Amino acid sequence: MHDWEALVRERVAGISLEPEELREVIAELAGHLEETFEQFRRQGVTEVDAVERTLSQVKSWQSLSRKIQIARCQENIMTNRVRQVWLPGFLMLFLSLILLMVIQFIGPKPLFVSIQGWRMTAPVAVIYVPWLLSLLLVGAMGAYLASRAGASRRATLLSIMFPVLPYSVFFVIWIPVSLILDDHVGHNTMFSALLMGLVAWVVLPGVALLAGGLPVQILKSRRRASGQAARA
Amino acid sequence: MIAPGIKRGTAELAVLSVLEDEPLHGYEMARRIAEQTHGALRFTLASLYPLLYKLEKRGWVCGSWETSQTGRRRRCYRLTTEGRKKLAPIRQEWAELFRALKRLTKVSHA
Repeated sequence: MHDWEALVRERVAGISLEPEELREVIAELAGHLEETFEQFRRQGVTEVDAVERTLSQVKSWQSLSRKIQIARCQENIMTNRVRQVWLPGFLMLFLSLILLMVIQFIGPKPLFVSIQGWRMTAPVAVIYVPWLLSLLLVGAMGAYLASRAGASRRATLLSIMFPVLPYSVFFVIWIPVSLILDDHVGHNTMFSALLMGLVAWVVLPGVALLAGGLPVQILKSRRRASGQAARA
Repeated sequence: MIAPGIKRGTAELAVLSVLEDEPLHGYEMARRIAEQTHGALRFTLASLYPLLYKLEKRGWVCGSWETSQTGRRRRCYRLTTEGRKKLAPIRQEWAELFRALKRLTKVSHA
């Protein structure tokens, strides 16, 4: 009696699949080999030859493992990326923009902070405190959605920070490039304005998103770890 | 014997066609394909399962574990509604290709 499962397990050890999925693949391939072997034996082939002819079905186990990995995971990678990063990210970006609009229309007056303290001389940063507070919730929701979809820590962080990405691009790339290309911009005021903008639209919202999202991410990953430990 | 490159192209059609009548497990699928094509198309374990998993990912076939009368557990694949829909145009494409090759090469029984 040959242990086909042990043989397949040993030869496809490099496949990176979920344990349950890998078990199924091994059982299925082993079943196929077993039936092939039995068929050869029924045809009167000697045991040694039957084993050899059965195994000759696979010229390279490494190549087979790679093909199975690609076949079973390729679309998963795409859908996982959508579920774990893009979907929560864009959802939270949309939500943060809606909240900002609502707060601008019906919320309290924003804080105006000048680089020279409370003396209102340009440049001035406009800070919507209720919006920053609402970003705590947005960050928590982003972390929850990404973690629920099984995102890694890095993917979850990306989902949490997604709503500030457009502002980061604006302040870190768009404005510096404009400064270089446009001669009519007052360069003397632009650096401090850039700094104020970065703080008001990237740093503070980023901190708020992280403050809301990180506890949820930690909580979810702890729960996941304890669940895995319980299953093991 | 049919060259591997041509076989590769026909593999999807062969698998979907053989599943059209009834659900089958991998070994039986390979056996039937070889039998029905008089050995011209043969699937080994290495050529069959990556294809089956790919078709399953696309949602054209669906696999589920079943226990046979002898108590052996095997994964049986059945054609899904989507797979059945895809089979018709694939068949059409191959029929067109055969007709075109026939006209081109004037092979009488292509």
